[in-house]
Amino acid sequence: MLQRLLELVAEGGLRSYADLARELGVSEELVGQMIEGLARMGYLQPVAGDCQAQCTGCSMAGTCAVGGPTRVWMLAE
Amino acid sequence: MTNDQIPNQITVALAGQPNVGKSTVFNLLTGLSQRVGNWPGKTIEQKSGAYHHNGATVQIVDLPGTYSLTANSLEEQIARDYIIKEKPDVVVAIVNAAALERSLYLVAELLELSAPVVLGLNMTDVAEQQRMHIEPHVLEAALCLPVVPMVASKNQGMRELVEAVDRLASDPDSYDPCRPGIREDHQAVLAQLQQIIAGQAPEPYPQGWVALKLLEGDQEITRIMQERLSPEKWEQVHSILMEHEDAILAVAGARYEWIGRMVRAALVRPTFGQIILTDRVDRVATHPFWGLLALVGILGLVFWLTYAVGAPLQGLLDTYLVQAGAEGVRAALNGAPAWLVGLLADGVIGGAGMVVTFLPILVIFFAALGLLEDVGYMARAAYVMDRFMHLMGLHGKSFLPLFLGFGCNVPAVMGARVVEGQKARLLTILVAPLMPCTARMAVVAVLAPIFFGPYATLVAGGLVGLSLVMLAIIGIALHEFVLGGEHVAFIMELPLYHLPNPRTIGLSVWQRSVAFLKKSGSIILVVSVVVWALSVLPGGEIESSYLAAMGRLLAPLGSLMGLGWQMMVALLTSFVAKENTIATLGVLYSAGEEGARLAGALSGVLTPAAALAFLAMQMLFIPCVATVATIRQETASWRWTAFSVALLLVVSFAVGIAIYQGAMLVGWGV
Repeated sequence: MLQRLLELVAEGGLRSYADLARELGVSEELVGQMIEGLARMGYLQPVAGDCQAQCTGCSMAGTCAVGGPTRVWMLAE
Repeated sequence: MTNDQIPNQITVALAGQPNVGKSTVFNLLTGLSQRVGNWPGKTIEQKSGAYHHNGATVQIVDLPGTYSLTANSLEEQIARDYIIKEKPDVVVAIVNAAALERSLYLVAELLELSAPVVLGLNMTDVAEQQRMHIEPHVLEAALCLPVVPMVASKNQGMRELVEAVDRLASDPDSYDPCRPGIREDHQAVLAQLQQIIAGQAPEPYPQGWVALKLLEGDQEITRIMQERLSPEKWEQVHSILMEHEDAILAVAGARYEWIGRMVRAALVRPTFGQIILTDRVDRVATHPFWGLLALVGILGLVFWLTYAVGAPLQGLLDTYLVQAGAEGVRAALNGAPAWLVGLLADGVIGGAGMVVTFLPILVIFFAALGLLEDVGYMARAAYVMDRFMHLMGLHGKSFLPLFLGFGCNVPAVMGARVVEGQKARLLTILVAPLMPCTARMAVVAVLAPIFFGPYATLVAGGLVGLSLVMLAIIGIALHEFVLGGEHVAFIMELPLYHLPNPRTIGLSVWQRSVAFLKKSGSIILVVSVVVWALSVLPGGEIESSYLAAMGRLLAPLGSLMGLGWQMMVALLTSFVAKENTIATLGVLYSAGEEGARLAGALSGVLTPAAALAFLAMQMLFIPCVATVATIRQETASWRWTAFSVALLLVVSFAVGIAIYQGAMLVGWGV
């Protein structure tokens, strides 16, 4: 199941949890669990949206977090 | 200590993840008999206690809350060492019924150990509240072990739990759970490992479990076995493990498959509510075609709302703040030196004050963005945008930093760090300034209604489209000539839609507005004063000022776009900060003309063709100095920074000239 998930991700492009859940035939919650598990094992890594520190001085710094707490992951090296 | 031989004493270990109500269960079971100490040799607290049932004393040990048993943390190691070494008669696993997928991983690992497990299905009330329907009997049949539904916070199900523990402790042979399997190809590997380590696993570690943990790459077990096995045997084990480096995926994957089966069997999800609503909305909002259409529609609505409500408010502020303020200053300073009156009335109020008047426009824009963010739509926008960028050949990791560029180009350039590969990162940095940032949008938001009246929304939408198209064209060109095709992949969590929280939105509008006002009071104020000074020195007349002299140098270029030197100067000052365009126009066009509003002064100056060329250039011009500095910092190269500036200069002037000359050719707006 985890291998299949990684294969799907490796096909490229952007997938949502819902896309993966549909393709794997499991719930989105389980997809979330598997992604966290894969991240712990070092197969996936979160994409850092952290730019607040560098934005000081920019009046639009607040808009930096476009998308809010959304988590984005990518394949680890 | 094992108590197998003492019939009247049972030892129970209480396992579970943090926040599943394990402590509540422990407190209810043990009451006043609790003892608190530390785990031997560890700084982690150990709680134990006892209760009496059917004439037996039941000792309970509360294991540390853990998500799994992989020995990644001290807590996990303590929990699994206790179960393996102290061999409790029963392990009670408390799980959160409302988060079964999360809770069951630990259970899957517990089943691989030999201690019998009773499942405490806690928080069933929370699950019911979320309209999830769980069948405990079905779960029991699927897991092949006792399942007790309970609500520990309301003391429900405790008696049943105690009885289930009692039954299992008195008949441990009946325990035969349905464990997660492992794929056939790996079963052979597992058997091979077991054969090699046969008789070598230290007591009391179960041999099969040790083999499984070796395959999983468990550090502690690997260390123990490396010490125990002869070098030849370890070499054998090691080569098998090397050959099956990804076996952890098969082992853990089997557990997730098992969880999937359990949940599918026992859990019926709600047929209405937040999750279903999200699913329905997302069928449109994340659709490759309808999603894009929805995005365009929603952004169009945001711009329209911003103009329809914001522009008249801006006009009012202009009249009652800037014009009245300037007149007030003139009246109050009657008799003061003319330069002081000019500095305050034309420089400070006419420039920086003018910028402040478009606060209402920004507040509405920020509020709309905040609302979209808070209900969860922005994540969908990013998702849809990625597909769009994919179509343009700009696929992959660049989308995230570029999307940040809608807010501000600085984080877009910084965000290019997530892009792998020197060339791909450079490409992202080079196209990032073409994303229409909020500051540019604000300038367009003020100027578009002045030049185009009722067509402002259309023009603004077209300008955003133009920016994106230019980004695509330059991106594709650079991609073709500088980069090869790159294969990249992302997973994105799309949060559930929910009702907006006015407080959250209010806070974000407040923070952004305060930051904007601070900028108006500092950098924009300074530039306004400098522009004013240059516009009156040396003789006091604009036409003979230093600024006019500078502007006239650019006049030949400006004439290609139908723009006077004032407009060229306004464009130049936007390099310091985009909003300076407004401030400069405010200084130049309202100076000395009492009661003349910027809108009135400007509307007659430009032909529609020239105005469109100006706004297009404003969108595509070199970004503000902060962004350029960031480009220098991120590329660590003056050469690429200069290339970026030159590229945008050429592109913006080329587009401006093309628009104006094109309009002249077809005879529109001249």
